Amino acid sequence: MGAPVRFLICLVFLLNLFLALSLAREADAGSGGIAVKSPFLAAQPEGHELIRLAYSEGQATQGGPQEDRSQPEVRGTGDDEKSQGSDPWADEAESLDSIPDPLEPMNRAFFVFNDKMYFWFLKPVGTGYKEVVPEVGRICIRNFFTNLIMPTRAISCLLQGKFEGFGIELVRCVVNSTAGFLGFQDVARDALNFQIQDEDLGQVFAFYGIGPGLYLNLPFLGPSSLRDTAGWVGELYLNPLDYMVEDFWPNVGFRSFDMLNKTSMRIGEYEALKKAALDPYVAMRDAYYQYRLNQIEK
Amino acid sequence: MRCDRSIIVAVALLMALAVSSVSVAGEPTEDIRKTTDRIIAIVTDPGLKEADKAREKSRQIRSVVDERFNWEEMSKRTLARHWKDRTQNEKEEFIDLFGKLLERTYLDKVEGYSGEKVLYVDEKVQENYAIVGVRIVTKQETEIQVDYRLQKKGEEWLVYDISIEGVSLINNYRKQFDSIMTRSSYTGLIEKLRSKVVGEN
Repeated sequence: MGAPVRFLICLVFLLNLFLALSLAREADAGSGGIAVKSPFLAAQPEGHELIRLAYSEGQATQGGPQEDRSQPEVRGTGDDEKSQGSDPWADEAESLDSIPDPLEPMNRAFFVFNDKMYFWFLKPVGTGYKEVVPEVGRICIRNFFTNLIMPTRAISCLLQGKFEGFGIELVRCVVNSTAGFLGFQDVARDALNFQIQDEDLGQVFAFYGIGPGLYLNLPFLGPSSLRDTAGWVGELYLNPLDYMVEDFWPNVGFRSFDMLNKTSMRIGEYEALKKAALDPYVAMRDAYYQYRLNQIEK
Repeated sequence: MRCDRSIIVAVALLMALAVSSVSVAGEPTEDIRKTTDRIIAIVTDPGLKEADKAREKSRQIRSVVDERFNWEEMSKRTLARHWKDRTQNEKEEFIDLFGKLLERTYLDKVEGYSGEKVLYVDEKVQENYAIVGVRIVTKQETEIQVDYRLQKKGEEWLVYDISIEGVSLINNYRKQFDSIMTRSSYTGLIEKLRSKVVGEN
């Protein structure tokens, strides 16, 4: 069964969380709690259409009088903005709200762990793989795995009432699995312009008004949130790989291969983030938060 | 394939026109397009390909970017509530350092250019502010969503923020800087900024 793999992944995950919590308790003493913000201070996105509202509400409470950002109804009255007219997108552009991060000491520990993991293991292996397998091949392999996890996207579309997206995903899967040689070619996109529907269970939860909860930086998996981690665990059950490759080691092999292939296409991204950032941890946390908000809005 | 794409783009343009009644290829988009085309011309210039021309190349990109980016506005928005507490000298120093950091970040991104297609898909204008939506089609067949935020200064539209896949650069730096200032101080931030800019030049 593929179930043992799922079980193992969940077990490793729980062990990590346990380890993390005890680590966090230790590190807490050192950090003096400067960074630990109340999880209730930051604006929590409250479901699909309410996000923008919640976002600007968070603004109103957080901005403070110093920032001189006029709200839409008093547009153009701020001193600074008089000559220019106020920024209609100011509420998006000047926000300080971010994802609550009460477990920052633990998350920072895992951030360091993932950093080492990347530079010492993933990057060298990924670079070697990149040398051996030409880009065309890697794109095909990526397409294959993307096509394989169609159920995650289709069901996530369906649960959000995005019936068109659901239909697109079904057609994509049928077309790509046949005309696209088992999904190695994305003919549905190239010929029909049926784009991948970038939906997952985390976005489904957000659609029903569940906020991210708190930020998690997980070992191996990287940035996530409580909500998105729950979604990720759910997605393990929607992955057809487990029902197709039931033996333990082949299953693990497929997963590792997928991960390696993906890594080989993203070498350089993390380095760029690190190079541009003054505090890479905060940079990544915020990038994740903004990235997810953007995905949820779409 | 190419023909197919252009039809799709044309249809998308028409639809955007019909829906928003805002001309897609308006002034802000034209300004972004001009700058982008000039940068692509520099990056792909065979005369600047050799390694010893790298400095000259980045100097040229820098001067093009300088004309389009409003460093002061970016600095102001990044420091947000901390901006008002700064003296004139501090402001100038910050604009200089932060501008250098942003330039480098931006240079790193554009210098890796290898024939990606740039599509101009969206434009929103409200008074003196505009958003220009761009899609970059990579060699790996993925689309990257890039949004430029602009403000009109005189006759020109100047960039004050860039979002990549919904992640606003200015927003991201604001949170980092706020976090650093909360932990240490403005002086601490400037020191970090300076060592970052100087250290990797």
